[in-house]
Amino acid sequence: MNAPAATTLHRPPEQRINVLQGTSFVTDDPAVVLTTVLGSCIACCLYDPHARVGGMNHFLLSEPRHGRMRDDGEAERYGLYAMELLVNEMLKRGASRSWLRAHLYGGANLHAGMHAIGTDNGRFARDFLIKDGIELSQANIGGNTPRRVDFRAALGQVRCRIVQADARIDENRAPQPPRSSGDVELF
Amino acid sequence: MSKTILAVDDSPSMRMLLRAALTERGYAVAEAEDGVAALEWLDSNAPHLVITDINMPRMDGFGLIEELRTRPRFRDMPILVLTTESSDEKKARARQAGATGWIVKPFDPEKLASAIRRVSH
Repeated sequence: MNAPAATTLHRPPEQRINVLQGTSFVTDDPAVVLTTVLGSCIACCLYDPHARVGGMNHFLLSEPRHGRMRDDGEAERYGLYAMELLVNEMLKRGASRSWLRAHLYGGANLHAGMHAIGTDNGRFARDFLIKDGIELSQANIGGNTPRRVDFRAALGQVRCRIVQADARIDENRAPQPPRSSGDVELF
Repeated sequence: MSKTILAVDDSPSMRMLLRAALTERGYAVAEAEDGVAALEWLDSNAPHLVITDINMPRMDGFGLIEELRTRPRFRDMPILVLTTESSDEKKARARQAGATGWIVKPFDPEKLASAIRRVSH
């Protein structure tokens, strides 16, 4: 009897995509690894295990003004927009809202003595998932150190690491809603 | 008596935000989670105006608008689309379906209120 042939698990070449602040990316390609570095920003990773599709966004609520978050709802509207973009793209790729599983990362407060914007971001993201009935499978948020997240989205595999406090973090820009946001066109 | 607006969106968070923005401006707000739920509510109610998302399960915003425009009592009712979509193709499709206007998220409550006033009869 011949010995069984050795089998090698074939893993396609990895394609890394950096998800910058204010953007999101959804894929069903198991070769794609979505990656980002987070300080006070939040990355929400969504995965549908049945459709085998996953996606990540990376967002920051409005910058605090004079040490306080704006209380006119603008921050919440921006956060909702970031989450809805991701959810909509997941649904377009065949995911089902009821099967969505979420991971949350980031939300650190990097600078002592400043407004805890990371805490606000984390709270917003948790509240959104609760209100929208999306199951939170894992959260690694808070603290005071940056994180790197690697998400093989189509397989739902996440790795989150603490990185050096001086790691280059893409959080220098204010949130950038789409150029056309809020525009009204009457037909 | 305050005018009633039906807010159709599959995100409860977005519906809550719409409700807050509109009730603050004197409107009564009804909610539906998608086109099917909206049609069920509309069977026995007649709002002043409908604000609808596009991407929703069961029946999307396009389907909802098309269906409403086949019903005589909703033929002239203003319908505003509120969506993350901004492509000209989808905007044209909404217009063809019978939408009254198109607003891109994240919305500005003042601009939304202004649009509502402008399309109100």
